[in-house]
Amino acid sequence: MIDLRSKINFFFVFNPTFGPKEGDELKRILYFYPNEVSPDARKMQVGLCEAVVKFMSTFSSEPCEALQTQSKRYIFFQPEKNFWMVLVVRIPYTTKALSAVGESQGDIVNPTVMQNLLTSAYKMFKMFRGPFKNIPADDLYGISEQFFTPYISSRHLTNDISDVIPGINYLPLDKNSFFKVVCFVDHLEVTYPDFKCILFLYNDQLLWNGLCTEDMLTLYQYLVQTLLPKQVEIEIQGGVVTAAQRLGRFISPPDGIHVKEDLDKLIKIHVTLEDDTEFKEYYLLIYRTLSATVCFTIDVNTRLELDTVKSVDAFIGPQLSAIASAISEQCSLHALQAAQLASEHKFVYFNRLNLILKSSPPVNKLQISAAIKPEVLSIMSGIHADRQSLGNYGEIIIKTPDEYWITGKCSNDREFYVIIQEKNANLKEIADEVKRVCEAQMKGIFFYPM
Amino acid sequence: MASTSNDNVPQHMNAPENASDELEPGACHDSILNPTDSFEEFASEMSSSLRETCLTTKSSTISEIQSEILETAEDPKLKAAKSSDDLQTKDGSMSASASNSNLIEENGDDTDDDKDYLQSPELVNKEKHVFILSTAGKPIYSRYGNEDKLAGLCGVIQALVSVIEEQNQDILRFINTKDCKAVFLVKGPLILVAVSKSNESETQLVLQLTYAFNQIVSLLTLTQLNRIFEQRRNYDLRRLLAGAERLIDHLLVFMEKDPAFLLGAVRCLPLPEKARENITNAITTTCHKIRDLVFAIMIAGNQLITLVRMKKYTLHPSDIHLLFNLIRSSESFKTAESWTPICLPKFDATGFLHGHVSYISEDCQACLLLLTVQRDAFTTLSQAKHTIAEKMRRANCLVAINNALNRNEELSTTKPLKHIGIPEIRHFMYKCKSTAQLFSSDPISLDRLQDYRLRHKEGGDIVDKKITKLSDIDYVRNYRKFCNQIHCVATPAKLIFRSSSQDTILSWVTNGFELYVTFDPLMEKDHAIKAVDRLLRWIKKEEERIFIMNAPTF
Repeated sequence: MIDLRSKINFFFVFNPTFGPKEGDELKRILYFYPNEVSPDARKMQVGLCEAVVKFMSTFSSEPCEALQTQSKRYIFFQPEKNFWMVLVVRIPYTTKALSAVGESQGDIVNPTVMQNLLTSAYKMFKMFRGPFKNIPADDLYGISEQFFTPYISSRHLTNDISDVIPGINYLPLDKNSFFKVVCFVDHLEVTYPDFKCILFLYNDQLLWNGLCTEDMLTLYQYLVQTLLPKQVEIEIQGGVVTAAQRLGRFISPPDGIHVKEDLDKLIKIHVTLEDDTEFKEYYLLIYRTLSATVCFTIDVNTRLELDTVKSVDAFIGPQLSAIASAISEQCSLHALQAAQLASEHKFVYFNRLNLILKSSPPVNKLQISAAIKPEVLSIMSGIHADRQSLGNYGEIIIKTPDEYWITGKCSNDREFYVIIQEKNANLKEIADEVKRVCEAQMKGIFFYPM
Repeated sequence: MASTSNDNVPQHMNAPENASDELEPGACHDSILNPTDSFEEFASEMSSSLRETCLTTKSSTISEIQSEILETAEDPKLKAAKSSDDLQTKDGSMSASASNSNLIEENGDDTDDDKDYLQSPELVNKEKHVFILSTAGKPIYSRYGNEDKLAGLCGVIQALVSVIEEQNQDILRFINTKDCKAVFLVKGPLILVAVSKSNESETQLVLQLTYAFNQIVSLLTLTQLNRIFEQRRNYDLRRLLAGAERLIDHLLVFMEKDPAFLLGAVRCLPLPEKARENITNAITTTCHKIRDLVFAIMIAGNQLITLVRMKKYTLHPSDIHLLFNLIRSSESFKTAESWTPICLPKFDATGFLHGHVSYISEDCQACLLLLTVQRDAFTTLSQAKHTIAEKMRRANCLVAINNALNRNEELSTTKPLKHIGIPEIRHFMYKCKSTAQLFSSDPISLDRLQDYRLRHKEGGDIVDKKITKLSDIDYVRNYRKFCNQIHCVATPAKLIFRSSSQDTILSWVTNGFELYVTFDPLMEKDHAIKAVDRLLRWIKKEEERIFIMNAPTF
């Protein structure tokens, strides 16, 4: 686990059109981290970034993405017109291979990880606070402060594949169990038309989604990175699971919904539902029983009664707990099968269409898995970023000096990576091994060339 | 089947590494070239910290040579540069154009004008811009357009560099957008910037800027360059660089097209072993008495024919590239014997060598360079040249050179792919690391480059043309990414095999060589391994022709 605060030099958000006059430069800075930095130093950093953005705009119509100096990397992101978010991170300025420098794995953060951090910070802001442009300029400073400071201190990075390729861990289920989930969701939405089920998780695995793909990922990340780890901790500390917990409770708002006043504590989110084109504001309710977590949205214009919520609680509780137990049995069966199939080599599968990310050992945000070597991770993230050079289908095999073979295959929107460490192997043997892993793990998913 | 994981050549052609006659193709124990990788040097340069100016040179090789030649000791101190007084021709109107105090202000004012000019037809939509300016912000060179009109832009560049240097105690390296990279290199008194939309990596661009800097050094020497700016920070260097613009123009095109730069290696003109030996002998027998001759180099069409050197001294490939560029860019050498000062930055950046440059004869486009530390050796060297030319003619060397230059169909090296007979291979390039020499399936000939230069004159524009048939230059362009990954400092690769519906590319680096091969699309791995195996055997068989396998001295 990487302490994010030790990696970030600065993080700031600015808009050059706020405070256009000289002397008003500080007004352009909506948020600046860390707080200790003096106003002059803030102005200097933001001024530099403005100059860089302007310089590049004379040559390219694309927005500026990065500025690299000897010791730092400035990562730029312009999520909305004139709004810039900049993350400044230290980079190891080494002239030797990373491993030769003796940097331990945790010391080097892959640049892609930092880039993803910046974009997900914005997406999270947009989901919970709305786009920058919709917020009155005067409120922006306070709202940003409230949002970003806790966000930075709560984010944990693992420098693992899931931070390089942000994806979703799906739960494979047999037909009957999945049918139970679908029935439950339909039944609920028919009985309570104001409630819309947008996400159904078992542990950190997704079973059901009702959001557009991008929002699905953001909400999923919020759950598995922020909300659920806290819940799990509470549950573990609580020792014996209380009867109420077995039957389920609302975990958002955090203290549940017991009295009328609790309804005022509901969180709002800005999302686009699946099969909808409108980006709208909704109330978000999250319900949890055993290891199952369900998220609902309710239109903000709905007048919500405490009775309704109580009756929903009574409706969901027993049903969800039954489903959760059924899934749990399924999972243990599944785990047994997986153990038999287990590959000695690390592999990763990703599909851009539904953002599924499958890997061995499994991605599990709630448990930290052994990290991949930074060089290998960096090569994988290079392949991922340069996917278009493989075209619609293709494969690439890269061998590193320390006998790691990294294979990347892609077919349309699917990507498959295998990492093999093997001395004295040749290209053909590696390709055959990858083929075996692919056939064993990815049954029915077609990759060409074989 | 070759084991591609081995760092050695495939087994059956690979005896134990120390068996002297079983080296990888092209390797020999003695090299005329200094095989230091430009990439390694680049890496060490990039790690130099802010305050240590990387331009303090070690003791001068030239004075070392001069002190060794005691007989010619009448003028032991080489007067490398024009007296600095010459440089002080007054130009009072020059004042610092850029004050770094107010970066944004400046940026705001200037970029508007710049934007207009940068959007003008002569500058817009170029694949790669190169700007050179002094650390005071004064424009020196722009690849396109008129650098006078770019004073504003140069001011911004200078301000960016100095803000990061002074306020952040850091060094500006590069900025990028999705489709465009701006790379910065500060070398002594100069700032060099490339703004590129090509697929070259940051490292490759910095290497090109270093070459451009070395081109300037080769005209002035580093000593003079530093002294000029020590005396007058605002000096307008263009006045000293008349004619250099053309050299840099040509160098930039050259670097974009020729894999020699990508690999940090020199291409040799394929010649029968005997012919090359005769040429070398013609030079050594004629010149062994001329004591202050440091190098005798014969080149033709950007390819090395032979290089005879003073004992102990070798040339770096990048110095030879600069010589190639000089010869290729100067028509005047064709008409008369010339006597010209040349500084070879890797050899000795502090002083000039004196070069006798001439073409062998009307009917042979080989050019002979005789480099000496003696400033008044013209007559001696001119005589030597005529003797060499005569000896070569008698030994039938001119025919051999012309055959190779005209790419006579009967030579196996003219169309190597046909000769090797592996139809799946579309293109390859091979570098022998220990001798820093390269060979590729389709050498870029001089007239082709000329051709590109003409096309380039009109444009250098980004065109979205549908490529129907790849030229050798397109293949080399495709290798850039692979080269970069292979030489990547933090995460290097030993082998990359990429197969797509377009093509299959294999790049493989071992202790002895680097090999890049393009196959048909979706090539089977075992076929590729076999093909590479055959290819290496062919190169081994032909090594005496396509490489210079010895390192003759005077």
